Parts: sequence; structure tokens; C-alpha cells
Amino acid sequence: MQAEDQEMTSGGKGPLKAKAGGKTQPAQGSSAAQPLSRLALVGNPNVGKSVIFGLLTGKYATVSNYPGTTVEVTQSNMTLGGKRYLVVDTPGVNNLLPMSEDERVTRDILLEQRPDITVQVGDAKNLRRTLSITIQLAEMGLPAVLALNMEDEAMDSGITIDKEALSRALEIQVVGTVAPQRKGLKELSAAISNGGAVPAFNVNYGKAEEYIGKVASYLPPANISGRSIALMVLSGDKSLAAWLKANLDEKAIEDIEALRDECELRLGTQAGLYINETRLKKAGEIVAAVFSKVPQRENAIIAFLSKATIHPVWGFPFLLVVLAALYEFVGVLGAGVFVNFLEHVIFGQYLNPMFTKVFELIPVPFLAELFVGRYGIITMAFTYSIAIVLPITTTFFIAFSILEDSGYLPRLAIMTNKFFNMMGLSGKAVLPMVLGLGCGTMAVMTTRILEGKRDRLIAIFLLSLAIPCSAQLGVILGMLGSLSMMAMAIWLLCVLGVLLLGGWLAARILPGKRSEFFLEIPPIRKPSLQNVALKTANRAVWYLKEAVPLFILGTLVLFTLDKLNMLTLIERAASPLIVGLLGLPPKATEAFIIGFLRRDYGAAGLFDMSRHGLLTHVQALVSIVTITLFLPCLASFFIIIKEKGIRVALSILAIITPFALIFGGFLNWALRHFNVAV
Amino acid sequence: MRAAPETEKRQFEDEVLESLWELFEKGGKSVSSVGAGAEETVSLEELSSSLGNAQALGLDGMHKDGLIEIIPGGRVKFTEAGRLRARDITRRHRLAERLFADILALNEYEEDACRFEHAISPEVEEAICTFLGHPPTCPHNRPIPRGNCCKLYTKKVTPLVASLADSQVGEDYKVVFLRTPMIDRLASIGLVAGSTIRLVQKKPSYVVKVDETTIAVEEEVAKGVFVKKHES
Repeated sequence: MQAEDQEMTSGGKGPLKAKAGGKTQPAQGSSAAQPLSRLALVGNPNVGKSVIFGLLTGKYATVSNYPGTTVEVTQSNMTLGGKRYLVVDTPGVNNLLPMSEDERVTRDILLEQRPDITVQVGDAKNLRRTLSITIQLAEMGLPAVLALNMEDEAMDSGITIDKEALSRALEIQVVGTVAPQRKGLKELSAAISNGGAVPAFNVNYGKAEEYIGKVASYLPPANISGRSIALMVLSGDKSLAAWLKANLDEKAIEDIEALRDECELRLGTQAGLYINETRLKKAGEIVAAVFSKVPQRENAIIAFLSKATIHPVWGFPFLLVVLAALYEFVGVLGAGVFVNFLEHVIFGQYLNPMFTKVFELIPVPFLAELFVGRYGIITMAFTYSIAIVLPITTTFFIAFSILEDSGYLPRLAIMTNKFFNMMGLSGKAVLPMVLGLGCGTMAVMTTRILEGKRDRLIAIFLLSLAIPCSAQLGVILGMLGSLSMMAMAIWLLCVLGVLLLGGWLAARILPGKRSEFFLEIPPIRKPSLQNVALKTANRAVWYLKEAVPLFILGTLVLFTLDKLNMLTLIERAASPLIVGLLGLPPKATEAFIIGFLRRDYGAAGLFDMSRHGLLTHVQALVSIVTITLFLPCLASFFIIIKEKGIRVALSILAIITPFALIFGGFLNWALRHFNVAV
Repeated sequence: MRAAPETEKRQFEDEVLESLWELFEKGGKSVSSVGAGAEETVSLEELSSSLGNAQALGLDGMHKDGLIEIIPGGRVKFTEAGRLRARDITRRHRLAERLFADILALNEYEEDACRFEHAISPEVEEAICTFLGHPPTCPHNRPIPRGNCCKLYTKKVTPLVASLADSQVGEDYKVVFLRTPMIDRLASIGLVAGSTIRLVQKKPSYVVKVDETTIAVEEEVAKGVFVKKHES
């Protein structure tokens, strides 16, 4: 949920493109005296790579309990035994044959940047899957160290692994870790200092061997072994097509294609499947030799929650309880108690009067107005961002972190798959959608975990259309709290209705088929207080860094417009829309102007108006429904441009803006026409 | 390539017997008594029209071979030998239909089922029947005459191999084969032919456990995962 400054993406470029044919290059052009070694953390999804990244570098990377938390590469420096490393945290992969954008990011890192050492993090409970990745690292010829994480959970499940035997079999160092407790960290650091070795994992692919050799002989030199690329090619990795085209002539590509056909004919099955099964079989042999399990009784609470959260009947009431708790915590405690205290007591009684007095001492009325006037930086920008929005987002982030770390979110996908199907999406889309309730910017990036391009586009569109972010949601909940249950129900119905309608239409208009639902479900875990606190603090800081400058900018815009007497002009110009169509007072125009910068700022403006009795109930409801559907904020707009290009971003904008206004107008008309009491 | 005269003759006989079986079946008799009674006859015209291009010559031959009896007045009935062979061929035909429709998910299979019925040995027939779980009816809901393999069971039989969608929640299964576009995804988390899996639940989505990994998939995917009971 944060856009780290040091993050970088290896976007839509073709794999290997950067260094096709080249030799290993030390990272970055800097000519530092001491070369920076590249260390890549790789492994299956949700095994704790980001926790280990945090321990090694001291830099926090978001940690949650669901696969796909890390969709971008985070990197940071570390010094170990006098040697400097650039540590790269990568998105989790089940196979180095990418099947979605986030998996591709990792594969491309290994190909393009060729790390000097890879630390493979594996789930000790799932040794077979772990080793199938180790095999692929071995084939690429990458030196590795294996960290078997979550040893505590493995032990609780009655699993014992003979790490020494495993280390002997693989000829690499194997370290057991319990990352959140820092267990095994010393041993891991020592192993890294000793340097990794290429795992001695020679898988014989039998009948396919001949073809692996033949295909490899066609391939141009690359950063990783030809054998591993030949295996990818035989497996039918489409993402390599561009690279092959760039480096080989047509004849060679045709020959490779023919070899692949011939190979599959010989095998009597798809080569990709055969290769995968052979790897798993080989991994299974080693597992059989070092792994033993004595079934244990599960923890009763965990077992109950694992069942209840996805129960065909009880799962739904459970969801309602979770939502109600979320509302109580964020809507009532955050938006009510905390906001009241901060806005009325801290800002209202102390800070604002104090600053007003200070500025009254300065004999320049312009300055006083700029800071403590009607559109003052302190009285408006800071009051809104810190007194109204910050407590709401912070309580939301706390609740959300707990949900994330418990493992409940992916379980929601099980419950809501059918609902998402109606919108042309699979249940997996619940992850970016729910994350969107935290922050739309991060959610747009998280759509990378979705498999199809079409799924991603629909999800991004819906995120922009109808998913309010935490700040906005909190403000809205606060406003709804002062209206009625009826208003709450209408708002929810409108948003869900628009979501469903938007998705349904998008699914019909866009060509292609949705991808089928497939999601790995992590175990239910007790959230760690430390991680919740750390994550919340990180997000709150991020919020302040991201939002406050924009709040100040918005205030300056209003201030300037007001000074130039243009605010009334704009209000008059927008009057047919705001007053005529939406039936709101002219002052509400301000909320929509700053809503262009951040929707939560716009919502906060409405919140303020409503609390000062400037909006009737109908007006309040119409305005919050409209602002919910209104433009995505500036930050997520830029992210959409980055992820999908300017054309898509502008199209989304062009659809959403008029739609939000027309829908608001319709709601206004309906509420008044049918005399609905809200 | 033309079939050898002997094979061609057999196929013709099979077609006639099968048509007769279907005509007798229309009387609504239970499978065991179809075409069995002395009064069970059909007219030659009825048989010819259902066969399309019946050759009287061929029918005479079958009469001589003791498969059918042509009785004066232009009516036809089974001999006991003919009735048993008709029963077998009908069974093979309908099993083939089940195989093509359910497992191979074909929409057009009638012609192939007609050819298939002549081609398989009793061993293959039994294997298919067992594989399908001794299905009682064909896709058109007509009864499949029981074979020896079916009779070994006294209780309700369960298929040897069934899709996850037809399997029991809470049971362990061994994966036999996969027929879904998801095959690569499933393989990447270790679910391949030969893996042991547990079906945790079916609704609102399918939840499956492989080793220590839990995954959720939708029904379409579950339908393509074929499993058999895990013998511990």
C-alpha cells in the first residue's frame, strides 16, 4: 500500500532484451570502488521473502498473509562481512515460466540482471514445491542459498526436515528460519557471506533430453544457461517469443518450432507438462528422503476459523460480522470519536485559534488569510488532512492490516467468486478490489496478479469507477453515520449496483474470455502485533507524504481562485451541473474541484459542509454517491497511465466523469420524485 | 478400405440386432426381459424402416444362423442367442456414448459410437464400464444393459474414476488425469497426475488441499480434475 521511492519495475519489456547476448554486468553504472553484489530473494508466493528482505536490509517491505503482496521489485542495500550487496525482493513465483505479470517480473530479473547470489526462500511445509523452484535455479546456473522458512509452522504440523541431508543432496547451504522471530537470521547471513553454490540438481528429462540439446544449440548467448532457456522454449513460454524474434532468424525459429512439435510427439504429451512433472517427481524423490510428517491436531481456534470463513452458509454471516466490526472501528471510532477530538478539540480549540492569534500579530493580512483564512493552509489543508482524514485512514489501516495478516482476504475470493463472475472477473479480483478500499494506487498495481489482460483492464476500470479508497470511505462512513440506515443502504446499493453494471457492460464490450478462477489460499494466522503496527505506521507516513502536499495544493488553488474572484464565477458556470442536475448548494462545487486532486479531499469538504448543516440529507446522500463514483485521484490516474498507457487512462476518465454526474443527477431526481426519507 | 466380408457380415448382424433391441425396448419392458417373451415380435416393415436399408437376404442369413426367427406373417423375433448378442452390442454402444459424452466432452459422437461398438473386446468393455462407474443409462437416458462387471456389486456403485465435481467432500483422492486449460497452473503448485489431494469443500467455490497447499478453483476447473479414491 505504499509507493516506495526505491521501487522499480521491469515493465513490459521483452525478457533478456536489455542484455541479450551480453555478459554479466555489475548493477548500475556507478563506478564505486567496491562492486555491489546483486542478491535476489526468490521463492513461491507467500513464503516470507519480504520479511527476510526487511531483516537483511532494515528496510520495510509490505508483508501480508496472502500470495501477491509484492507485485513490484523492492530493493535496498546491505553490508555483510564488509561486502556490499544490492538486495532485491521479488514477487513470488510457482514456476519460472511466467503465467501472470508479477511472475514475469521475477523471471525477467533472473534473466536480465543475473544475480550474483540468489537466496531462495521456501515454505518448510511445502518442500516439494520449494524444490521445484530450486531445480529451476540450478538449471539456470544461478548460485543459491536455501532458507527454509516457517519452521515453527512446520513443527506444529509435525513436519521434520533433515536439513543436513538436504544440504548434502543439493550441495548448497540450507538454513532453517522463522523470519518474524529473527530465528536463523545469523546462520542465513553467514551462508550468504560464504557465497552460494549452484545447486547440484541434475534432472534427466529422458526422451526430451535430445531436444533440449538441439534447441539450446540454436539459442544466442544469454545471461543464464542455454539449457534452462531451451527448457522454457520447449515448455511453450510465449513471453520469450519477442526475444527469440529479435535474436534469431526466421528459419531458426521455424526449426525450433518443429523441434518442439517433434518432442511433444515423442513424449506423447505437452512438453511443458512433462517437464513440470519430471521436476516434481525428482523433487518428490528428495522430499521422500529428508521429509517426515507425524500428523498433529490442529489448533482448535485456527481450525474453526479456517472452516467458518469459507463455509457455504456461515461464511456470509461471518463476512457481515467482519464488515460490521470494520464499520464500528473505522466509521464510529475513527471517523467519529477520533475526528471529533482532533478537529474540535485539538484543531478547533487549540491549534487554529493559536495560529490565528500568531498570524494576527503579523501585519500582512494576506499571509494571515493564506494560512488561517477560509481557504487557509492550516485551517483547511491541515485540518482536513490531519484532523479529518488521518485518523480515519489510520484506523482503517490498522483494521486492514489485521485482515491482511490473518489470511482472511483470499478466503473472501472463495465466497465472492460467483459475484465477480457476473462482472467478467474471477474471484481472484477480490484482492485488488479490497486493496482498493485501502488505496487505489496500490490496488491498480496489484491487478498484476490477475492472469488475463482483459481481467486487468476490467479490474482497473472498476477500481476507478466505484471503489472508494480508505480515506474517502472513512469520510463517507462518517457522513452516512449522521444520516440514516436508509441512506447507508441506498449508498451501498448504488455503489454495488454501479460496480455490477459497469463490470457487466465492460465484460460484454471487451473481447475475450475471463480467466478461470484459481487462487492459493494461505493458512489462517494470528496477526503479529509488530507487523500490524509497522505496516500501519508505514502506510500512515506514506499517506502524509502523498496526500498532504496535494491537500495544500488544492487549498492554494481554491485560495487563488477566491482571491481572483473566480470561485464565484466557476460556481456560477458549474451551477447547471451542481445546482441544476445534482441539486446541491453552489459551495459544493469546491468539493468537486479539489476532488479532481484527491477524492478524499473532496469528500472531506462535503463532510465539513454536512457537519455545519449546509447540506440537507438528500443533498448529502447525492453528493457522496457522486463523489464515490467521481474521478480516480491524481496519483491513481498516473499509475493507470504507467500500467496501461495514456489512451486507456483517458478513456476511463472520459467514461467515468459524465457517468458519475449523470448517475448523481438521476439519484437526485429519484430521491426527490419518490420522496424518499433519508 | 473395405472391411473383410466376415467383419462386414458381423457388423450388419450387429446393426440388425441392435435395431431389434430398440424396437422391443419401446414396449417399456425392463432390461432383463426385452425381446424375451414368445409374443415379442415386430413386423418386417417396422424393422426395415428402422434399419433404413434392410436387405431381406441378410435377414434370411441371420435366420439360418440362429440369431433371429422369421415367423410366417412377416414378423421377426429374437432367438435366445440373438437376444444376448443384441444386449451386448446395445450395452457397448451406450457405454461408448457415455464415454464420448462425459469424459471426452464431445457433442457429435453418434457415428463414432456406432463404429466403436464393433471394435472393442469384452475386456475393454468392462474396463470402460468400471471406469465410468457402471453408469445405468446412456446420455439419452436409455438403460444400459448390465454386464458381468456391474453385477459384482450389490450396493450402489461408485465410479472408479470421477471428476472432482462428482466426488465427496472431506475425502482423499489420487489424481488420475487432468483435462482443463488450468493444467499448467495446477501443476505449478504440485497438483499433477499421481498427486494425493483432499476435497475440502465444493461451495461456494471448490477448495482443494495438495500437501500443505490449499487452493480455490471454480466448478469448471474441478470438472476437469479426474480422481480416484485414495487407498491408504
